[in-house]
Amino acid sequence: MVIAQCKKLIKVYPGAQDFRALDEVSLSIKEGEFVSIMGPSGCGKSTLLNILGLLDEPTGGEYILNGVPTQRLSDARRTELRRNEIGFIFQSFNLMPRLSVLENIALPMRYTNMPRADILPRARELAVRVGLEKKLHSTPLQLSGGQCQRVACARSLANKPSIILADEPTGNLDSKASAEILTLLKELNDGGMTIIMVTHDPKIAQGTHRIIHVKDGKIV
Amino acid sequence: MRLPDLMATGWTEVWAHKMCSFLSFFAIAIGIATFFYTLSILSQRYSRLGQTAKVAGAGRVETSTNHPLSLVQYQDLKARLPEGSSLALTTRNFNISNGRWWNTLYHRGNKLLGGGVRGILPSFKDADFVYRLEGRFINWKDVENKHRVVVMTVFPHEVKKAKKRFWWDDEEGVQLVKDYSAHHHLLQQQIELHHQTFTIVGILHLPTESDDVRLSRNREDRPMFYIPYTTWYDLYPEEKDTRQVDIRVVTGKESTAKAAGRSLASYLRSQFGVDEKPEIEFFQEKMEEHLTQARKSLNNMLFMGIIAMIAGGIGIMNVTMAVIFSRTKEIGIRRAIGASRKDILFQFVVEAMLLGLCGSVAGMILGYMAVLHLAEDTSQMTFSWWVVALSVLIALVTSFLFALYPAWQAAKLKPVDALKNE
Ligand SMILES: Nc1ncnc2c1ncn2[C@@H]1O[C@H](COP(=O)(O)OP(=O)(O)OP(=O)(O)O)[C@@H](O)[C@H]1O
Ligand SMILES: [Mg+2]
Repeated sequence: MVIAQCKKLIKVYPGAQDFRALDEVSLSIKEGEFVSIMGPSGCGKSTLLNILGLLDEPTGGEYILNGVPTQRLSDARRTELRRNEIGFIFQSFNLMPRLSVLENIALPMRYTNMPRADILPRARELAVRVGLEKKLHSTPLQLSGGQCQRVACARSLANKPSIILADEPTGNLDSKASAEILTLLKELNDGGMTIIMVTHDPKIAQGTHRIIHVKDGKIV
Repeated sequence: MRLPDLMATGWTEVWAHKMCSFLSFFAIAIGIATFFYTLSILSQRYSRLGQTAKVAGAGRVETSTNHPLSLVQYQDLKARLPEGSSLALTTRNFNISNGRWWNTLYHRGNKLLGGGVRGILPSFKDADFVYRLEGRFINWKDVENKHRVVVMTVFPHEVKKAKKRFWWDDEEGVQLVKDYSAHHHLLQQQIELHHQTFTIVGILHLPTESDDVRLSRNREDRPMFYIPYTTWYDLYPEEKDTRQVDIRVVTGKESTAKAAGRSLASYLRSQFGVDEKPEIEFFQEKMEEHLTQARKSLNNMLFMGIIAMIAGGIGIMNVTMAVIFSRTKEIGIRRAIGASRKDILFQFVVEAMLLGLCGSVAGMILGYMAVLHLAEDTSQMTFSWWVVALSVLIALVTSFLFALYPAWQAAKLKPVDALKNE
């Protein structure tokens, strides 16, 4: 079953000289797939991922997520979809520096109408799943990069998304921590999670089902 | 996000930006202090004026004449007034003071100085009677028979040192009577007024200055000795400066006050000739003057309060803008993990309102202290819940309004753009 489908996606950044960051990109991702996106810097990988994650809107083309065409959706509907269907992992972790590990993991659930009493137990479960049961009350500043990224992984799972989007999740990590994160992602994928990951590292990309090469806004 | 979560987040952030928050909090606090002060004084003044009007009596009309009225004239005038009116005649106040040896007051050989003597009728009791009476009051028999009886005022124990108000005031003497009356049982004792012996038949215990709701001009500023109206003329034969009589009518109904005023004026003219041009004072008009005056000064203070609140609001706006600017990335992250525009909007609005709430609490403490130290009359200060509630409401509404625009700007940000911010 196709979970995410793009048809002729175009993204133009307006400016003195309009810049076409995505040029008719068509792509479809099946449920349970672990896909990596590779390409030179500035080729449009992040742009593509942001559109897939509903953080940005394409200038043209279609994007269907879980059977829902996303063009012309209101911001509220896009937010709802993003909240329930998508988990993000960023290169720079993007955790809340003042919140504890537990609260960081719980944060996406705070934006749902899940019963309040269920939030922290689930956050704890997720922390255990990524191996951070001993760091529940530390803040991100007290964690290593690898540990931060594991918090981010747990957070991305909070609302049981149907797809995880990871933009260079190992970009800020050494090889050991990178391998750990990759193992974690693979485990999630083995559990049925669809994952799209941008990476510069061919070794990491090799561990995935499919590698999509992008160049100058086009899939090659 | 639910309110408790929003509040918790807001609180963490307010705490994290202490200095920044403190400044806008302070601005709000000053505004609220001004409001609180104004509202407290306002509510106090209104409730007090209400009490003043109540003890003064409804349909109260006052005037004075230089022709002492006889008891026959009294009855005559009373018959012309609206049904059920009270008519009180009171002679002018004669001061007992050091300078006038013949007014010296003796009690058991103790020479007491200071105080005043007035002749009154039993109807004196019908208005402005704020005293606690011990013994009995002057009655008609006393008046008809020119009894040598006196009802004297006693100041409450806590009276401060008497202020010297007029050149004839004998500061020391006033204090002497006050102290003396506080420490001696005076009821049924003999005292000497103008070489005449009087019996003290009643003591009028004055309320404390702050509990005395009468208009200040109707209060005793020195010990008073009230004797029968008729007896007074034995003591002080009609001379130029002993002739003035204060006339007070209380009809009991505001609607009949004007009619009473007209009857009063025409009666005085009919008795004492066309030269008699009595100045008729309607108490209601006096009260209204007081109210407008109170309103005027309060409007000025409220205006200052509004200015302070606007300053506070701009402070809130500035802080919210600065906070949003420094937390654009955070907004992006929150949007990425599922926060809606509304969530972002509420987050910053709630944060600002928390500041406003703290500011209002601090402001009320500040305002309370201002009331205690600046207000001329704090005794009646009752901190009504509505003043507190209104102050909090004003602070919340101000912070809400001023935070709305920056928060809306934050909510409008595109998630990608916000995320790119470092
Ligand atoms: N907001 C923007 N306005 C204008 N141009 C932009 C904007 N965002 C990205 N671009 C341009 O679009 C192109 C693609 O950017 P993108 O961030 O997708 O690259 P990337 O493939 O993720 O690169 P990297 O591997 O360095 O992260 C770049 O050439 C960039 O300059
Ligand atoms: Mg990128």
